[in-house]
Amino acid sequence: MGGYILKRILFAIPTLIGVTIGIFLMVRLLPGDIIDILFGGDLNASEEVKDKARAQLGLTGSYPEQYWRWISGVFQGDLGFSLRNTEPVSDIILGALPITLELVFLGLLIAVIVGVPLGVISAVKRDSAHDYAARVGGLVGVSIPSFWLATLLLLFTSRAFGWVPPLNYTAPWDDPIANLSQFILPAISISVFTLAIVMRMVRATMLEVLGQDYVRTARAKGVNRRTVVSKHALRNALIPVITIVGFEIGVLIGGAAIVEIIFGLPGIGYVLLQAIFGRDYPVIQAATLLIAFTFIFANLLVDILYGVVDPRISQE
Amino acid sequence: MSNYEAPLVPEGGPSDLRVETWTSEPLRRRDKLGKWRNPIGMVGAAIVLFNLFIAVFGPQIWRIDPNALDYMRFERSSWAHPMGTDELGRDTLARIIHGAQVSLQVGIIAVSIAFVGGVLFGLLAGYYKGPVDTLLMRVVDIMFALPGIILAIVIAGLLGPNRRNAMIAIGIVILPAFARVVRGAVLEVMGFPFTESARALGASGRWIMWKHVIPNITAPLLVLVTVYLSVAILAEAALSFLGLGTQPPEASWGGMLSTARTYVGIDAWLSIFPGLAIMVVVLGFNFLGDGLRDILDPRLGPHVGGGREKD
Repeated sequence: MGGYILKRILFAIPTLIGVTIGIFLMVRLLPGDIIDILFGGDLNASEEVKDKARAQLGLTGSYPEQYWRWISGVFQGDLGFSLRNTEPVSDIILGALPITLELVFLGLLIAVIVGVPLGVISAVKRDSAHDYAARVGGLVGVSIPSFWLATLLLLFTSRAFGWVPPLNYTAPWDDPIANLSQFILPAISISVFTLAIVMRMVRATMLEVLGQDYVRTARAKGVNRRTVVSKHALRNALIPVITIVGFEIGVLIGGAAIVEIIFGLPGIGYVLLQAIFGRDYPVIQAATLLIAFTFIFANLLVDILYGVVDPRISQE
Repeated sequence: MSNYEAPLVPEGGPSDLRVETWTSEPLRRRDKLGKWRNPIGMVGAAIVLFNLFIAVFGPQIWRIDPNALDYMRFERSSWAHPMGTDELGRDTLARIIHGAQVSLQVGIIAVSIAFVGGVLFGLLAGYYKGPVDTLLMRVVDIMFALPGIILAIVIAGLLGPNRRNAMIAIGIVILPAFARVVRGAVLEVMGFPFTESARALGASGRWIMWKHVIPNITAPLLVLVTVYLSVAILAEAALSFLGLGTQPPEASWGGMLSTARTYVGIDAWLSIFPGLAIMVVVLGFNFLGDGLRDILDPRLGPHVGGGREKD
């Protein structure tokens, strides 16, 4: 088991390095010199001033030099300063991360809590009205844009209950209730896609497991239906579902990035978009990197969890 | 029907009657469509065709300029404006039709970029294996390390917010998915005995690709194209919603939703129609993709159709 975990971690390292190189190059190779854009319109800017700005941004020297300077800064927690308000980028990013993480966590929680039972019922009552509704609902769920759903939810709560979530962010440790009332609508909006995927997956794996010999044997022994479904079938059916959770975390992060803007939550997606419109390169780099790290780390955890739940995987 | 000679009451008695009458009519109809009889796929195909029709002929049928301003703002649905008018008095239906063209254009071009690049990379990786494969698949892994929409936001943002750049960004983002599936399919086909024997007979690499590999990967590719058209359309809407895709005043579904949000207290319907349009079209492509997957390629993983009929 320990060897398996170590192997997974070692596998993630090249990807991590590759991602840093990819982000580094992406910001530099895309058309438009950063300095020209920064001084856009300012024709009087002397070369001296531009050189100073270049040095400040770490844009001097060859690419490997620049990369090395940047990446060693990253490991020391030094991500440079925002071009907009000269705040340290690490402060901006670390303030935003918990918001996105909470949103993603809540979204995943809703998706699993609702998606798994729906998938199970759908499989157990195969071809019933419920099954059909779940299958069509599943396809609708993957087709509905999260940002539209967010708008619809806001519309609904404001018309039906005269309630809209508070606009100023409250941390969960300050006031959990206020925090939750702020996060519930965005969490629902981003969870629907994942919920549909989880439901479809649980249904498919349940159908497969329910057809297996040991399930029939258990039934033949006289174990009642409910126990067979919950004890024998569901446990095994859930194993493959873990694998898609890793991928779905990426979907949830992406959904969160858009929905944060609608609900005015200052998460990492909100920061990233502001930085993109403000051409704030240090923040773009750092935010993208942090999202990639979070995603890779989440996938690593999922892989390890998969190995724990299914011993066959870790023994390979 | 001329050779229909089945007796009304078969020799085996009433128990056989059920079987006889049950199989005779439905089976004959079923044979015509065969495996193409797939209700979800059919609905999807109908929606996709309707969308295509609207995008191509819509402006000829509904001849209102989507950018024509009018003093009649926030109109409710009427004969003159079936979906009402927006904050500048522009006809919502005309803008929805224009949005259909935009979304289809972005979808087709982005998927074409991903298709050409992905098939090329996938073929190279799957056929040559070794270091080429390792390198290409590493790049794919790295691209998968960022959530797709985030990568699209960053690329489109850095290239500059407009529709062309959004298409490029979406194309780049979905390219790895194509590369990965093509590579997997190529590796599978390369392992089949007929490919091995072709190679043993001295066939060149190019010949094997054209004659054996490509014909064998068309089915998964067709499914992939359909599914990723829906992904691209959804991504275009998201980018335009964020202001990184189609720029106002040009109509796009995502952009319309974005401006509608400002006026949600005045006219909620402005938020309904564009979102509905996105959902229905994406749903259509997903239905079609699901149906095609059922019919053409059961290997592509779990799906709504269920797995009972696999053989």
